[in-house]
Amino acid sequence: MRRIIRRREIVSDELRYEGEALEPGTHSVPTASQWLAIPAAQRGPALLLRATDELEPLASELDGLRWIVVEFAKPGEGRGFSQARLLRERYGYEGELRARGAFGRDLLFFLARCGFDAFDPHLGEDLEAALGAFETFSVAYQGGSEGIVHVHERAPSL
Amino acid sequence: MYRYDQIDQTLVNERVAQFRDQTQRFLAGALSEDEYRPLRLRNGLYVQRFAPMLRVAIPYGLLSSTQLRTLAHIARRYDRDFAHFTTRQNIQYNWPRIEDVPDILAELASVEMHAIQTSGNSIRNITADHLAGVAPDEIADPRPYCEIIRQWATLHPEFSYLPRKFKFAITAAPADRAASEVHDIGVHLRRGAQGEIGFEILAGGGLGRTPIIGHRIREWLPQADLLAYLEAILRVYNRYGRRDNIHKARVKILMRALGVAEFTRQVEQEFLASADFAPRLRPAQVEHMRSFFTPPPYESLPDQPEPAADAAFCAWYRYNTRAHKISGYRVVIVSLKKHGEAPGDASAAQMEGLAQLAEQHSFGMLRVAHDQNLVLADVAQRALREVWQRLEQLGLATANIGTLTDMICCPGLDFCSLANAGSIAIAKQIHARFDDLDYLYEIGPLEIKMSGCMNACGHHHIGHIGILGVDKHGKEWYQITIGGSSAPPAALGEVIGPSVPKEAVADTIAKLIEVYLRARRDEEERFLDTVRRIGIEPFQERVYATDHSTA
Repeated sequence: MRRIIRRREIVSDELRYEGEALEPGTHSVPTASQWLAIPAAQRGPALLLRATDELEPLASELDGLRWIVVEFAKPGEGRGFSQARLLRERYGYEGELRARGAFGRDLLFFLARCGFDAFDPHLGEDLEAALGAFETFSVAYQGGSEGIVHVHERAPSL
Repeated sequence: MYRYDQIDQTLVNERVAQFRDQTQRFLAGALSEDEYRPLRLRNGLYVQRFAPMLRVAIPYGLLSSTQLRTLAHIARRYDRDFAHFTTRQNIQYNWPRIEDVPDILAELASVEMHAIQTSGNSIRNITADHLAGVAPDEIADPRPYCEIIRQWATLHPEFSYLPRKFKFAITAAPADRAASEVHDIGVHLRRGAQGEIGFEILAGGGLGRTPIIGHRIREWLPQADLLAYLEAILRVYNRYGRRDNIHKARVKILMRALGVAEFTRQVEQEFLASADFAPRLRPAQVEHMRSFFTPPPYESLPDQPEPAADAAFCAWYRYNTRAHKISGYRVVIVSLKKHGEAPGDASAAQMEGLAQLAEQHSFGMLRVAHDQNLVLADVAQRALREVWQRLEQLGLATANIGTLTDMICCPGLDFCSLANAGSIAIAKQIHARFDDLDYLYEIGPLEIKMSGCMNACGHHHIGHIGILGVDKHGKEWYQITIGGSSAPPAALGEVIGPSVPKEAVADTIAKLIEVYLRARRDEEERFLDTVRRIGIEPFQERVYATDHSTA
């Protein structure tokens, strides 16, 4: 049973990717283009977003989604940070936004700040140790995340 | 200068703790080299030819004497008593031990410094005019905006894993002493019809393998929109810049692929579409930032006549000092280009001496210029002779600023694992060939810029004379360009012909100078002007006609 981090807790994963067996209570994760090709009434609640996927085709379909998994296929991949920020801030997506792929705990803080609330890191094994990474910084220079004192709040005159 | 508050200090302290943990995990084997590399790079730590290299940020080149003393202390304690100032107004240590780097970063944090994003595919140190705030020709002080952009760019969660590195330069003066046209983004301060500040935005400039002069993509950007517009540029780049080929990943390549008009359209569209959530600069934020850059307590002093006695002092005054916007003051350029020394290097003792000099004669502040000299920006004219004597004692008064031996030079093959050829030895060769100051003065203003490989850290494309180290069958050869310029109108130099062997570099430059001195209209016409007027052919003829062995 795969485990992931969701809202700073370790939970077992209810999503199943290509080649994985579906069991009761689990959901398959087609790619965004596969998902869009399915008639709306038959679509499941999850999809996988690749780094090159555009967001505009999904913009009017987000209500039917509970899981968007953003793929980080290679170390150093950074497009998913922008995708997440746009999904949250431009398109108003409120379901689970999950980062999955070639990153370890050192990226969790940045990912969370961009709007991800679930994490399936493939580098490094120890999810328990990774939980501490959300506390790496208590301040930030940019807005956009809860629980962080950011710079615009620092002077009452501002 | 900007002073950290509790938030800034907390951020750098937490960054040190984070890197200490990452380094411990690496040394314990829990992080592989591949996993550790992007983390250490984002803290300025490279693994070089002989030892790690640590690059420390000096935001927009501004330093307090206290900070400079700490940099000297780090050189003594963790390095070999010296350090190297770079074309990005940073400082580099060439011999730290990896296990010491967290402690070095902690020492830096104690004086409000860091090494965040001095490498890696992230937004690098923001560079600016080294005469910001004191230059008579500037529109307004750009430093408040530099600091605003520095903070915005620091650990920006969305833009920390870009396709490639990303460099900003900011200037508020028409002379453009920041080489802003060869940066990923150049920000030019402008004044609108009501005197309000706004910006002209250039994008897509850069050197390296594919040198390109930046394109203007916004003629006028209101102050409030500065960060929103920068986010739009970065987001288009982050999403669509190539990630499959490191040599085609800079924003200039994306702009070339899309065309400037289409790139600009996408940026403008992104800018409009992000209006609801993009950061806005409020006037109070700018005012708050401006309060850190108020003028120092200048005395009311009359301008003094230019010195007439003592030829050495007069020459230093003429070449190594610059006009100041306040009467009775002058800017002093501290030459790190002494004959026999690697350009841009300073010893711990020199740094400490300079820190003291800055405290006594320049309100405790210094600047790093992108051409690898240091600057005492606020020296009373009556103190100039004393400052000159003290700089002489420190070996920092070579009266060669703006002349042929005021070369930009990367560390080259002596230190850098990317280099194809040495730079420092060539600098020394040129120094030896042109060691007569009077001859340098006769030649007049001339910028030589040299890189040991095509990554162009030494900005060779924009040197009046550029020198690029190349590897030919395991031997060091040098390709020469002429006609480049970082000042408006910025221009890329043209290659004069086949590269020349190491021992022939200074001789080749001597031939170029010979052609120039014969062809120039008068003493006012600089080398660059002559090249622009007569073209490169006469220079090619002189260099290659008589000696075919260099082919």
